[in-house]
Amino acid sequence: MSKPTLLIIEDEKNIGNYMETIVASNGYKAVRATGGLSGLSMCTSHRPDLVLLDLGLPDIDGMEVLKRIREFSSVPVIVISARTQEKEKVEALDAGADDYVTKPFGSEELLARIRTALRHSAQAVVRSGNPLVYSCDGLTIDFDKRLVMREGKSVHLTQIEYRLVSLLARNAGKVLTYDFILKEIWGPYADTDNQILRVNMANIRRKLEENPAEPHYIFTEIGVGYRMREL
Amino acid sequence: MSVWSRGRRRLFSLDEIDRFPGKEAWKNLTVVAVVLILATLTTSILVRLSYNASSAGVVYVLAILLVARYTEGYLWGVLTSLISMLLVNYVFTYPFMSLNFTIEGYLLTFAGMLAASAITSALVTRLKKQSRELRRRDKVLMTAEKETMRANLLRAVSHDLRTPLTGIIGMTCTYLENGEQMSEEEKTVLVSGIKDDANWLLNMVENLLSVTRIREGDVKVNTTPELLEEVVSEAVSRLRKRLPEMNVHVKVPDEVLLVPMDAVLIEQVLMNLLENAVYHSGATDAIELKVERDGETILFHIRDFGVGIAPDRLDSLFDGAGSLKPNSSTDAHKGMGIGLTICKTIVEAHRGKIWVRNCDRGAEFVFSLPYGEETQHEQADASDH
Repeated sequence: MSKPTLLIIEDEKNIGNYMETIVASNGYKAVRATGGLSGLSMCTSHRPDLVLLDLGLPDIDGMEVLKRIREFSSVPVIVISARTQEKEKVEALDAGADDYVTKPFGSEELLARIRTALRHSAQAVVRSGNPLVYSCDGLTIDFDKRLVMREGKSVHLTQIEYRLVSLLARNAGKVLTYDFILKEIWGPYADTDNQILRVNMANIRRKLEENPAEPHYIFTEIGVGYRMREL
Repeated sequence: MSVWSRGRRRLFSLDEIDRFPGKEAWKNLTVVAVVLILATLTTSILVRLSYNASSAGVVYVLAILLVARYTEGYLWGVLTSLISMLLVNYVFTYPFMSLNFTIEGYLLTFAGMLAASAITSALVTRLKKQSRELRRRDKVLMTAEKETMRANLLRAVSHDLRTPLTGIIGMTCTYLENGEQMSEEEKTVLVSGIKDDANWLLNMVENLLSVTRIREGDVKVNTTPELLEEVVSEAVSRLRKRLPEMNVHVKVPDEVLLVPMDAVLIEQVLMNLLENAVYHSGATDAIELKVERDGETILFHIRDFGVGIAPDRLDSLFDGAGSLKPNSSTDAHKGMGIGLTICKTIVEAHRGKIWVRNCDRGAEFVFSLPYGEETQHEQADASDH
């Protein structure tokens, strides 16, 4: 199988080089653009399998680039943001980005995100390939039978709690924003106040995790959303 | 330059006369006029009702005090005294509706009245000026204090930033110049050192950025209700990425608690305190991070089982008067100073408190965050759904 092509849209030379090095030495082919507009044109010409998009671009806004990409393609996009750009991060995710990394990021993190995003886009294509079971490190979720087991013992979850856990598990490894989860579980007219989500998650954590302060399965990304441990 | 005037005991400066027909002057004049008219009316009514003319002066005293309080400078109060005295003589004293100082005793009486009222008004004006001066001085002191704090912070910051940078520059130069003669092992050590220093720098920068999130003028923070366990777990996992060897045991209450806070800042505090515990305790025993609720307060305890803190340093730990040297012989640049000052700033901006004490083994840092009643009600509602 040929190597997946990753398009890196990053204006800073050093970071761009760094990403290219990691990516190339881990089985991917890297293509680079240093601006939003050139990035867009390369997206159409090279048809990459994944796009790494920096939010702080010089010529046009990173968000703008994302929106335009989404107009013609559902290619997985991972946005790269600075620590202080929380709102932009969430906006990007809600506008169709698949994941994000925050500068400065380690290579492990970047590669993990790339793997997850590629896997999910592959799964989206193969409709019938939906996993029937999530099994990771002691936690098993059987989507068919709607059973949740931890260390062999069955865990009782309320309706809402089960739906939350199964949503996260079916998107394991991928970050889901508060907004996305709220709309999926409580519907499009749900109150945008996410407290009800947070409280439900807290209850879930107490049922599933050894220590709710040191989660093993469901990770919080404060200000953004939740992410379930990747298989 | 001063001007003395017959019968008056106060001097007033030439400036006040020069300012004469300014807007201020018109405002003051209006006050005087209004007050005097009201006083005259009131006195007329009073005198008529009580059939007693001796109460004539009383209302005017009040009038003079009011004028002194609400106008600028000594002039108007004193002027009102004069006019009041004349009015009392003219309207309320025999012969009525005419000025007369010649009747026996009148000159003395009215001079006395004028003097007393003028002095009273001057006193009021002086008190007003003094309190204004005090307030101004207070403000200056506060600004000076802030400046000193800022200067201290900047000094400590430059030192804390320069040290790891020196290390990085040194190490990279060594690699570039002597790389060929170095063994793989030596190179790895060098590069790891660069990585450590860079991470340390990053932490410093994030600390500083935190400070900018606190609004300058009123030192307050934007808080949103956050789940206690989420903030704690994120802080711990972020720190673990930088310090994988960290050994921490975390405990949060069973109760689901949504506490208003700025999550980014409180995470910064937790990470600073945990990092200090890792580096300065000098021990490998697990650090304990315990969070508990104590009525309307949330307490965060960070306990290490190391060497503790020198007693003479306990009081000034959070002052940030320059970087303090660590207890152990570990790298000199990982000073505690800056991190703790920033912790204190953040905690106090949340209206909490932070303190430290030595235990029989190691030290314990504790900080508190207020936990309001309204948040508790909101939580009760949310979990019913």
